[in-house]
Formats: sequence, C-alpha cells, structure tokens
Amino acid sequence: MAAKRSTDEMRERVVLGEFGVRNVHTTDFPGNYPGYDDAWDPRRFEEAFRVDVVREEDGLLEFDMVGIDAAIANAFRRILLAEVPTMAVEKVFVYNNTSIVQDEILAHRLGLIPIRADPRLFEYRNQGDEEGTEIDTLQFQLKIKCSRNPQAAKESSDPNELYFNHKVYSKHMTWVPLGNQTDLFPDADFRPVHDDILIALLRPGQEIDVLMHCVKGIGKDHAKFSPVATASYRLLPDITLLQPIEDEAAETLQKCFSPGVIEIQNIKGKKVARVANARLDTFSREVFRHEGLKNLVRLARVRNHYIFSVESTGILPPDVLVTEAIKILMGKCQRFLNELDTVPME
Amino acid sequence: MLFSPDVEFCGYCITHPSESKINFRIQTRGSLPAVEPFRKGLNDLMGVCQHVLDTFEKSMRKYRAQREEEMQ
Repeated sequence: MAAKRSTDEMRERVVLGEFGVRNVHTTDFPGNYPGYDDAWDPRRFEEAFRVDVVREEDGLLEFDMVGIDAAIANAFRRILLAEVPTMAVEKVFVYNNTSIVQDEILAHRLGLIPIRADPRLFEYRNQGDEEGTEIDTLQFQLKIKCSRNPQAAKESSDPNELYFNHKVYSKHMTWVPLGNQTDLFPDADFRPVHDDILIALLRPGQEIDVLMHCVKGIGKDHAKFSPVATASYRLLPDITLLQPIEDEAAETLQKCFSPGVIEIQNIKGKKVARVANARLDTFSREVFRHEGLKNLVRLARVRNHYIFSVESTGILPPDVLVTEAIKILMGKCQRFLNELDTVPME
Repeated sequence: MLFSPDVEFCGYCITHPSESKINFRIQTRGSLPAVEPFRKGLNDLMGVCQHVLDTFEKSMRKYRAQREEEMQ
C-alpha cells in the first residue's frame, strides 16, 4: 500500500524539499511502471483533460488546463509570446522633426505602441517590397506643432497653460487609408489601443510630421509584435499536513503561508490547522525555516495541472489569443505532415 | 511519440543556436519503419490540439454564460 502511494506520488507530484525539488521529470512512459498501461490513448487523454476558466477581466484571462503534459503547455506559452502575429509600426518616414527627441528614438517609441488592428485581416508583407500594398500595410500620420498660448497669464509657469500641443500623445496618430482600404474596412477604426501614451514633449516652434507604415509580424522577429503583456503558467500547489498540527504550532503554520491557505478550526476547544485553499499559495517555503514544522508538512505541486495567466496588450482579447496559439501549433504539425508526404524517403 | 510502446529511442538536439535547425532521431523496435511513429506522433499532436481548442472554447462559453446569469 505504501509502495503504491509512493509510486503515485512520483508519477503525479513534483515535491519541493528543503534544499531542492524532486521528481521533476515526467516518468510515466510505457514500460516504466509495472501494472500501469501508459501507452498513448487519445480517448483516455480526452476523458482526463479539462479546461476551467477561473477569471476574465480587463484583458487578463486566468484558466486551468488539467491533464496535459508539460511540453505542450510550454509550447502554448512560447507560441503566445513569440509566434502569434500582430500589427505594429515598422517604417517611419520622417518629413519634419524639430523636436528634442532624435529621429531613431522617436521611431523606436512609435514601433512599441500597440495598434488596435485585427492581424487576421492582413497579410504578411512580401520580402523586398518597400512600398507596401493595401492588404499588408496600415498607414498612420502624426502631424503636430507646438505653439505659444497668447492668453496665458504673465507669471504662469505651468506648461499646460503656456503652450498648445506641447505633449504628443498616441491619440494624435491618425489613420490614412491606402488604396481601397475604406471599401475593404468600412466600419474599421484603426488606432492605437491606448490614447494616452506620451510619445514626445514639444516647445513652441517645434513640430513633428511623420508618416508610419504598420506591418504584420511575430514576436520572434521583434518584441513589439508580441500580443501579450505576458503569458505565464504555474503548477497547482498541493500542501499536505502529515500529522495534525495544533495550538501555537497551528498559528505559526498559518503565518508561514500566504493568507487564506491555512485555516484554523476550533475542534473541542483546541485550535487545529487545516489546508483551506492551497491554490493561493506562492510557495515561499517559509515553513522549512521552523525546525518543529518542517517535517510535518509536504509541499508539492500537481504535475499536470497548469494555471495559465494570459494578459493581453489590448490588440486582441486574451481568449482569442489562446485559440490563435493553438491553431498555430496545429498549422505547424500540418506543415510537417505535408513535408513528410511530399519528400521522398529511401 | 515517447508514449508509444514501439519507439525504442526518440530525441532531438539543436545543431547550433544561431541556425534554426533541429536534428531529430527516432528509432523503432523491430521491423516498423521509423517514419510511422513520427507521422502518428504528428497526427496525435494535431488531435490533442484540436481537442484542447474545443474544450477551451466550450469552457469560455460556459464561463461567460455563468457570468451573464450572475449579473441578472
């Protein structure tokens, strides 16, 4: 019985010891464990697999994926960061820039501004094509000049009162339709995601007049194309109390973990500790610093339960990003399969 | 592919980080041609992705429907 429990532990949990982490690698390959049938079975995978959405608010999506292997979960994370395409400013044609911000710095800043444009409506630009066509390019114009306010009070030193247009925001970027884009996108409103991104500061007499070309790209090429503010996952924590813990030890135990993880119940007058919600814990391992408690608790993580957290920059909603990432992985498999069929094997 | 009982050896290595090339090696037990587990692995991965996609979309719909009910 104990042997079975320990093999289960080895298969399903990653254990956090005092000085290291054990059981990190996947070991349930066919033939490794007698009595377990580990050969790949799609039906068994489908029965065990589930997705639970925990929270969706304001561009942040938190969901659980249970029953999947680490390699595939990591593949989704990496694709979300680097291979889901977006539109971003790539070429900046500077007609006039008398501001204090250098041309290249200004161009760099403009490239990093997220543009609200669904990349699925556009194509990638052909290599070597300098001009750009209407199906692969979005054109924006930023034309702004700072001037003095004649109505300002004599002694005022507040720039907001003294000058007009001294702060250049992303809301000053306007879309200039190319070719037949007004017909292709009649309801579209292409603009930066946020209106209040400060691009540059001006003083009277300075002006910025630039034309920008946005193209479709992926994060692997340049981080400005990454559609997520960040995408990360963690494994579900699993805290087990190996022995009942009472009174003062229970209070100390509660302080060792994040708030809400350990709950103290009053059973027959004695304070007894109980694990209420292990999910909230961030595993600071504070419990290992207490000699009396460190052997009474087992800290582990469930190997195939991933808590994903995807935060979008606002271009596409996070659930659309996740579906696009999964489709991109499927597209890669399909390309490989096609290659296998077309390339002759000896 | 690692979960298939016919595969004796399966591994990959990257020849050099600056080049985007991966050397992939599959060796099968017995007489099965090595391309077969490779093909099966890719097909299985496609199946996994499709299932993940369907389950995810179903969960999103359920979550949003639940939130609509709570708001009313």
